[in-house]
Amino acid sequence: MNKGKRLLAYSRPYWRSLTASLVMILGMTLALNYLPLLLRRITDECFEKTDTAAAERIALLIRLGMIYLLYAGLGHLVRYVQSMLTAWIGQKIIYDLRLDVFRKVLRMHQGFFDKTAVGTLMSRATSDIDRLQHFVTEGVVGSIADLAMLIGIMGYMLYMSPLLSFSIFTTLPFLFAVMLYVNIRLRNANRDIRDRQSRLNALVQEDLTGMTTIQLFNREAYAMVEFDDRNSHLRSAYFDEVRWFSLYFPAIEAGQTIAVLITLAVGGFAILNGSEAVTIGTFIAFLAYVQNFFHPLGSLSDKAGAFQVALASTERIFSLLDSEEAIIDPEEPLAPDRIAGAIAFNKVWFAYNESHWVIRNLSFSVEPGQSLAVVGATGAGKSTIINLIGRFYDVQQGAVTIDSTDVRQFAKHDLRARLGYVFQDPFIFTSSVADNIGLNNPGISRNDIIRAARTVNAHDFIDAMPEGYDTVLNERGNGLSLGQKQLLVMARTLAQDPELLFVLDEATASVDTATEMLIQDALGKLMANRTSIVIAHRLSTIRHADRILVMRQGELVDQGTHDELMARDGYYRQLYELLLHSPDQ
Amino acid sequence: MPYFVRLVIEGLETHTLTAGQLWKLIALFAATGTIGIFFSRLIRYIPLRLSHRIEYTLRNDLFEHLTRLDQSFYRTERTGDLMTKLSSDMNIIRDSIGQGLLQGTRTLITMVSASIVMFIADPRLTGLMFSVFIPMTIIFFLVLKLVRRYQQAMQEHVSEVSNFCHESFSGIRCIKGFAMERRRTGQFEELNHELIRKTMRMQASRQSLWPFMAFCFNLGTILIFISGGRRIIDGTLTIGTLTQFTYYLFYMRWPLLALSWVMSMLQRGKVSWIRVRDILETEPAIAEREESISDPSKPNASIAFRKVSLSIGPRELLSDIDLEIPAGTTIGITGPTGSGKTLLTSLVARLQDPTSGTVEIGGIDIRNLSLATLRGMIGFAAQEPVLFSRTLEHNIGFGVENPDMGIIGWAAEIAHLQGDIETFPDRYQTILGERGVTLSGGQRQRTSISRAIARRPDILILDDVLSAVDTQTEAAIMKKLQPVMAERTTLFVSHRVSTLRYSDTIVVIENGRITQQGTHDELIRQPGYYAELNTMQQLQEKLEGGK
Repeated sequence: MNKGKRLLAYSRPYWRSLTASLVMILGMTLALNYLPLLLRRITDECFEKTDTAAAERIALLIRLGMIYLLYAGLGHLVRYVQSMLTAWIGQKIIYDLRLDVFRKVLRMHQGFFDKTAVGTLMSRATSDIDRLQHFVTEGVVGSIADLAMLIGIMGYMLYMSPLLSFSIFTTLPFLFAVMLYVNIRLRNANRDIRDRQSRLNALVQEDLTGMTTIQLFNREAYAMVEFDDRNSHLRSAYFDEVRWFSLYFPAIEAGQTIAVLITLAVGGFAILNGSEAVTIGTFIAFLAYVQNFFHPLGSLSDKAGAFQVALASTERIFSLLDSEEAIIDPEEPLAPDRIAGAIAFNKVWFAYNESHWVIRNLSFSVEPGQSLAVVGATGAGKSTIINLIGRFYDVQQGAVTIDSTDVRQFAKHDLRARLGYVFQDPFIFTSSVADNIGLNNPGISRNDIIRAARTVNAHDFIDAMPEGYDTVLNERGNGLSLGQKQLLVMARTLAQDPELLFVLDEATASVDTATEMLIQDALGKLMANRTSIVIAHRLSTIRHADRILVMRQGELVDQGTHDELMARDGYYRQLYELLLHSPDQ
Repeated sequence: MPYFVRLVIEGLETHTLTAGQLWKLIALFAATGTIGIFFSRLIRYIPLRLSHRIEYTLRNDLFEHLTRLDQSFYRTERTGDLMTKLSSDMNIIRDSIGQGLLQGTRTLITMVSASIVMFIADPRLTGLMFSVFIPMTIIFFLVLKLVRRYQQAMQEHVSEVSNFCHESFSGIRCIKGFAMERRRTGQFEELNHELIRKTMRMQASRQSLWPFMAFCFNLGTILIFISGGRRIIDGTLTIGTLTQFTYYLFYMRWPLLALSWVMSMLQRGKVSWIRVRDILETEPAIAEREESISDPSKPNASIAFRKVSLSIGPRELLSDIDLEIPAGTTIGITGPTGSGKTLLTSLVARLQDPTSGTVEIGGIDIRNLSLATLRGMIGFAAQEPVLFSRTLEHNIGFGVENPDMGIIGWAAEIAHLQGDIETFPDRYQTILGERGVTLSGGQRQRTSISRAIARRPDILILDDVLSAVDTQTEAAIMKKLQPVMAERTTLFVSHRVSTLRYSDTIVVIENGRITQQGTHDELIRQPGYYAELNTMQQLQEKLEGGK
């Protein structure tokens, strides 16, 4: 089995610990299952041998009792150590696997994330891995321990009385079958419950979001009928589960009763018939074994079913680990010390989905230190330009070059470390303000962070926060306005000191005029002395750019300075006038 | 049952047992065993079934109550939280009833009956057993408490790890853009190391429970053997009684431990119950007045706002709105985003009540109408409509009792939806949503228009329902919608001058106040929001036309 082998490979680094764990299982089995044997000796040698002196028998009783305690203590101690060791191995294996998944996801190309929902990735990294962890620690090692326990008990029983043992063992296959059957029915019932619960949840989710609609259209009674329908479905699945669950433990009890019954009958008649093979001690030892017998049996039948669930998770995890990475680093990437900053597009064609071209035959160049503004209506392909330079996607035809080198000749990581981005929706990490600016980059000191924040006008509001730069923000950027978040993100970009800068500048209606001024000022400082490309919506940024690229449906329509383009009285002028009248300016 | 085992052993011990007696004892053992198993099943079956019945009823009650609560409730409660209350809180309550009842009765029955039988059989051994079990139970409780605490710490860390994952996956653009993959992985490694530490700490306490208990059981057994053994050697006790006791030892260990479990279960059940009860006790803010039912006839469909203001929290969102809408006229409402247009329309359907002032329909304060009468008069279509994951037919006929295909087809035709429907695999029977056809924004809006007009309402409210539709389709829809709108009182929210011009009166709302009011021709001549909007949209048309 390929998947099993691959999973097994993850346990290889821990083979020593695994072996130790197995040895401990062996020791524990021997020690713990020896205990009923001691009870037999006590019964037979202390209680039954009436010909020996009482004092002598009491001394033996106490000595055997001490040995019993010692074995019990040792056995359980080993059991404890063993279970801890197993848990540790399981944790380590899962740690390795989870990290592999995490690294893999971070390596995947942007196109992958366009197609894969974050929720799906999350369930790989969390619930699938958890299921696997459960399986590895409790499933595999647990089964071995259960099996060892079972074999140990059976061995001792056979040693004491083959006759009694065989008569009890004959019932085992039948019992195991019953338990497995009940277990399977129980699992089916549980699956039904999950299905119906999620069907109910889907309905409730939808009804709760659409409650206003339901109320507006007077459909409350109808919604109730539907809810009741699914709710009673769920109830009947639960009833089914109760039916089988209420059989499970009684089935184990029945097994125990039958085993005791057999012991009583077979053993009783053996003693009655004066057989030497069975003593009262044996009798008592057997009664003790029978009690311990059914716990491992039950848990084995339980694990047999869990195996399949774990297998499905394994398959999903490995298929994620095997998914193809589309944007690959070259064998020998170029890593120049410093980039001058000349960017050029050379007859570039690009489509996110095949056949639907977003960029058509685009050529342009930016001189080092220049600022370029890209304008055009929504869907003109403006932001795609930025995506292509950072190798979030690779072009289908033509080439994107930096200092006349094709970007595909750089390593992605190295390339992007030189680029700085300001996105339109600022992403805030759950972390302190300082870490959100410095991004845990060891090369950026607290002073650098503060300087960057000062430069982009973010220092004042950061300083006013309860713990200043150490205030912890959450993913939604609690308490910060959108404008403040944008300033924070600019400070972040500035602190990273990129060699090339890309700005997605979306004028936003919800930023007040004062903050808007701060943002424009910050943008200007950020762009100073850097090659920068701005996807521009603000008139001020457009006017101040060294050159303007006018795009329409993936094609370059016109380029030049603001004055040149205005003089031409073409598409640019119309766009500009529209912006002038837009309420957001 | 242990008593029969004892009799067998005693008989064998003293060699007084005959084959017939042995058979009899075995038969008795089997009989009591069967009865025991039967009861063991019942004691599970009855309380668990009962608990599921209770869960079912409670869940129905809660949902029914939720259908009566209004927008102000749904604004403050997150859907996710409500979902939790309807699912996991329900489950906890059910478990605390079912398992509480089951384990509670079981523990009680076993403990009481076993104690009595044991005490009769041999008080000294009974005392010995309790002296082992009581400290064991106490220690077990304490360790369990520790386990819970560690488990919670671990659980918190688990959600921290998963939040970190979530953040990394959803912020992937930012992470890649700043080339932070390696640092991010490093942080993730650290988090996971800490997780291992916390897990192992939890395991260290949890894994000790089972060996500890098993050891106590061994301890109990050997103590009984040593103490009882001395008396056997003295001849004052039989091996049979001894065996009987080891049996009780076996029976008693679970119920005692289950006790602690039941206690914590009840506690959690109580917390969940309080959370559910809080919702059940929330009174809907939009309630019908007692006397409202007195007027069964529908009023005429004129609408009037009289000095209406609405505040939510400290913010005044609508101030001093005075507006008369005669029956059968169409009123266009426009204004910047967030100025209060949608709120104004929602007042008519009593999705909320104004803070001061009144809204009247046909001269009657709408608070004096029953909700069924009021909403029965209204067809409402919102900008971002909620559609249900059912067939298209179901969605369009949603507001109509026993809808027929005639009405549904007519409504689809008016909203210019028929062409789209022809392309769907199962036409009107097509399921919407993830499991079927995902509609585009424009299709969703048009479905919502069909849903609203299928009711043939007296008052039609269309809240920016054509924002996701392109200009040509919009013109086509408006042409068909015109006669439908003319027959009834229509409130029409839009940003497009091209559609607003169809209305009898246009109202401009800025910052919660009416700033302009008049016909299209009047308003384009006034300087202000409407004239600006008009100029901008003409420019835009020119731009698009140049393609």
